[in-house]
Amino acid sequence: MARVRKKKVAVVQCAGGCRRQTENSGLERNNCQQILETKADAVSCEYGCLGGGSCVEACRLEAIHINDRGAAEVDPEKCVGCGLCAKACPRGLIRITTEEYNIYPACVSEDAGAQTRKNCDTGCIACGICVRNCPMGAISIENNHAVIDEEKCIACGMCAVKCPRGVIRDYNGIFTVREAKV
Amino acid sequence: MKETYTFTVNGIERTTDQDKPLLRYLRDDLHLHSVKDGCSEGACGTCTIIVDGRAVKSCVLTTKRAVGKNIITTEGLSDEEKEAFVYAFGSKGSVQCGFCIPGMVMAGKALIDRVPDPTEEEIKVALKGNICRCTGYKKIIEGIQLTAAILRGDAQIETNLEKGDVYGVGQHAFRLDVREKVLGYGEYPDDVEMEGMVYASAVRSKYPRARILDIHTEKAEALPGVLAVLTADDVPNNKVGHLQQDWDVMIAKGSVTRCVGDAICLVVAETREILEKAKKLVKIDYEELKPVTSITEAMAEDAPKVHSKGNLCQSRHVTRGDAKKALAESKYVVTQTYRTPFTEHAFLEPESAVAFPYKDGVKVLSSDQGVYDTRKEISIMLGWDPERVVVENKLVGGGFGGKEDVSTQHIAALAALKVKRPVKVTFSRQESINFHPKRHAMEGTFTLGCDENGIFTGLDCEIYFDTGAYASLCGPVLERACTHSVGPYCYQNTDIRGYGYYTNNPPAGAFRGFGVCQSEFALESNINLLAEKVGISPWEIRYRNAIEPGKVLPNGQIADCSTALKETLLAVKDAYESNPGRAGIACAMKNAGVGVGLPDKGRAKLVVHDGKVELYSAASDIGQGCATVFVQMVAETTGLGREQIINKGANSEVAPDSGTTSGSRQTLITGEAVRMASADLNEDLKEAGGDLSKLEGKEYFAEFFDPTDKLGADVPNPKSHVAYGFATHVVILDDDGRVKEVYAAHDSGKVVNPISIQGQIEGGVLMGLGYALTEDFPIKDGVPQVKYGTLGLMRSTQIPDIHAIYVEKEELLPFAYGAKGIGEIATIPTAPAAQGAYYAMDHVLRTKLPMEDTYYSKKQKAVK
Repeated sequence: MARVRKKKVAVVQCAGGCRRQTENSGLERNNCQQILETKADAVSCEYGCLGGGSCVEACRLEAIHINDRGAAEVDPEKCVGCGLCAKACPRGLIRITTEEYNIYPACVSEDAGAQTRKNCDTGCIACGICVRNCPMGAISIENNHAVIDEEKCIACGMCAVKCPRGVIRDYNGIFTVREAKV
Repeated sequence: MKETYTFTVNGIERTTDQDKPLLRYLRDDLHLHSVKDGCSEGACGTCTIIVDGRAVKSCVLTTKRAVGKNIITTEGLSDEEKEAFVYAFGSKGSVQCGFCIPGMVMAGKALIDRVPDPTEEEIKVALKGNICRCTGYKKIIEGIQLTAAILRGDAQIETNLEKGDVYGVGQHAFRLDVREKVLGYGEYPDDVEMEGMVYASAVRSKYPRARILDIHTEKAEALPGVLAVLTADDVPNNKVGHLQQDWDVMIAKGSVTRCVGDAICLVVAETREILEKAKKLVKIDYEELKPVTSITEAMAEDAPKVHSKGNLCQSRHVTRGDAKKALAESKYVVTQTYRTPFTEHAFLEPESAVAFPYKDGVKVLSSDQGVYDTRKEISIMLGWDPERVVVENKLVGGGFGGKEDVSTQHIAALAALKVKRPVKVTFSRQESINFHPKRHAMEGTFTLGCDENGIFTGLDCEIYFDTGAYASLCGPVLERACTHSVGPYCYQNTDIRGYGYYTNNPPAGAFRGFGVCQSEFALESNINLLAEKVGISPWEIRYRNAIEPGKVLPNGQIADCSTALKETLLAVKDAYESNPGRAGIACAMKNAGVGVGLPDKGRAKLVVHDGKVELYSAASDIGQGCATVFVQMVAETTGLGREQIINKGANSEVAPDSGTTSGSRQTLITGEAVRMASADLNEDLKEAGGDLSKLEGKEYFAEFFDPTDKLGADVPNPKSHVAYGFATHVVILDDDGRVKEVYAAHDSGKVVNPISIQGQIEGGVLMGLGYALTEDFPIKDGVPQVKYGTLGLMRSTQIPDIHAIYVEKEELLPFAYGAKGIGEIATIPTAPAAQGAYYAMDHVLRTKLPMEDTYYSKKQKAVK
């Protein structure tokens, strides 16, 4: 019988560069939905990770944690791609993909570039440098952020290396550095 | 203090203060040449290395980002791993041109380290970022599987295979170049380093058609480290060209450019970095002119002339019998217009050459398809006797026809003579794409008729080729398109008109299939329509018309005893008939040898030296494996083993001219010359009681020439070519319209190397599928709109199951042990077979390549 080894993993589409996030580090843990309802302005970017850790709570393998930027980050070694964290995220920031696509844009902000630049250190400002440098023509800018088409992507990492704001990340930690755990 | 970056490479800690792509650091600073530079864009995978256990493209990663990381290149494999990869890749036939191989090895190792027993699917995914243009991936996947098994202890290395005591024709011969290519120490021109070597590169036109008003080189010349900036004024005779010398080495001030690949000046500098800086300092004043961008525009009466003699570059009229009358009297007739695109060879190794002053002239280390062709073109440019120019091939990282014309060699020679130092010229990938001749784009209207039984009566067709800015091989390619547009069938009324037009698009020339991919796509598609009218199957109509020994081909040539088209049809009959509604079929024939009355000669010289037989024959091995084939011919004839025979390669100073690697000719034409020389040696060897040492110093030279008739020769049955190979392909689709399987049955006469021929067929089929389904070369106003990654080359995850079948007959030709060559034909029938499969599925006739409205085109579109 054919073995199924195509491993799935979760990626968080926010790198937590929103400046106000750290100021709110005293936020209630483990309930992003509540943060969203009661302190909607907790995070200046309305597309960013709330840092409440609902995903952490949902994960049964301790494969996701809140990093020192206050955003969720997946440990690809532990993650099996079950999707519980993705279901738990009220902002739908967690995407399930396969291991071969280790390069992903960690931002889905639909704000215009100037606004994103104001809000966040690591938000996609839709500059298009990744689009121009992608050898496969796999990247496009949609709703003001970079989107990689996995049908075309070969995960070469060129976009991650060229991205001036560190939006596009490598979860293997080779082309970009993983954030420290807290 | 400057920032420094420290990391570990193959177990040694390294520190640099330069932030640059790791590829450049590994190649230029550490001289680790297994790390190949195929594109520097992240698209091809030839520079794959292992970083912290992951396969990574070293052109993407930088020294700065590599800080603290553990890096392994092929040079850093353990001895056990090296031996496992060499044996596995050699015995499975994973190595052809070899340029992708070290990258494949590293991608394979990264996988095996994580998963010791990887599945085929896992290997395909692991190789997704690595392009191979030769093998069709299957043999590489098998090689990685066997490597994994050896490293696990589940399989053993058989050392006798590489040793090759039994190395004759038909043996499972381990290619000569496996070890150097797998381990990455074999030298391609870009791997050559010489004392005092400098670099040159051309500044090329910004516009396909523009008048050069002025060239400002002063700032570039003033830059420290710049040795010279050459313009057309510095070229003794400013023309090159494979057959027609219509190609300006550089476009002179006041002249008009013909395509974006045109060179305007040539900068020579001490280092690559200075060179790039200097090129940017050259300012050119252009008067932009409207380009000629299509055949229709080129034909217009008031069209600008791309060349002074007019836009019609070449034409051919091939006729026999009375096609008009035959078609008028036919029961069924089909007329249809077909369009095929330019396609890019996309060989993994971009063009590269190193030239240096040598004796009373210049020597060029080259990557090409014929050292004597390159010598001729350079000597024409210099106005010299050819003997003053020496050309030697290093390893050639794929050609497929795209390295028949000079590209880097002549400008390297020019620069070397100017600065009197060794000069390296290596194309960037985009420069390669913009410069070298493509497969001709075709528009053709084909009318084919048959009687009530489906027996073909006549063919009328008109073929238009866009040959772009320069002739390159337009004449012979157009001629093959015309002569082979009839297909491998048996009918006697043909009227074929072919025209090749100059435009301001990139030039078009030779490409595996040599014009026949275009015309047979049209013909075979028409045959399916006729079958439908007659009410018989596409297989049946082909079988009824198939040529057989003793019958007359449409060009008048009598099919020889080795002809085995019917056998190839029978070999795929079951596969075709058991997949109704999803299978397509097509046949093809392809000449072996240049033929048509030309002096197409094979030459070989054997020298007994130091107790071994040295083989001298200037026949380029561009990855297809002819160097191994020739040694097999010597082994077969003399009974010697591989270790006693040394192929000295293609070097115009010491090896006799054995023609271009083109027209699927080397195995047969040069192979026979090698066999003849070997036979003479064997006579003496027998007399010497089998003691080779008694023949020390003796030389054996042989020349093979089997005359052919000119096109249109006034004889009843002109012999156009020494031999023809035949093939039938069946393409089978799955429910989603994806290609699931391809059955490729080939008659190439005697199979010299059974493993190599499978790799040739599989690679050819995949190239044909790309042509049919995914590959394109969009051009906007004369400017190519593609980069390497967007050409649509098939990747490992896209390959179907390819069944390479060869039929071997008892009756063979009396040359080269009956071998006929496989190089080109493997690519020809695949596209029409794929077209036939889609037609069988949805009854939509797709007349344009790449085909529209398929599983593949939808995937492409979904992205944008």
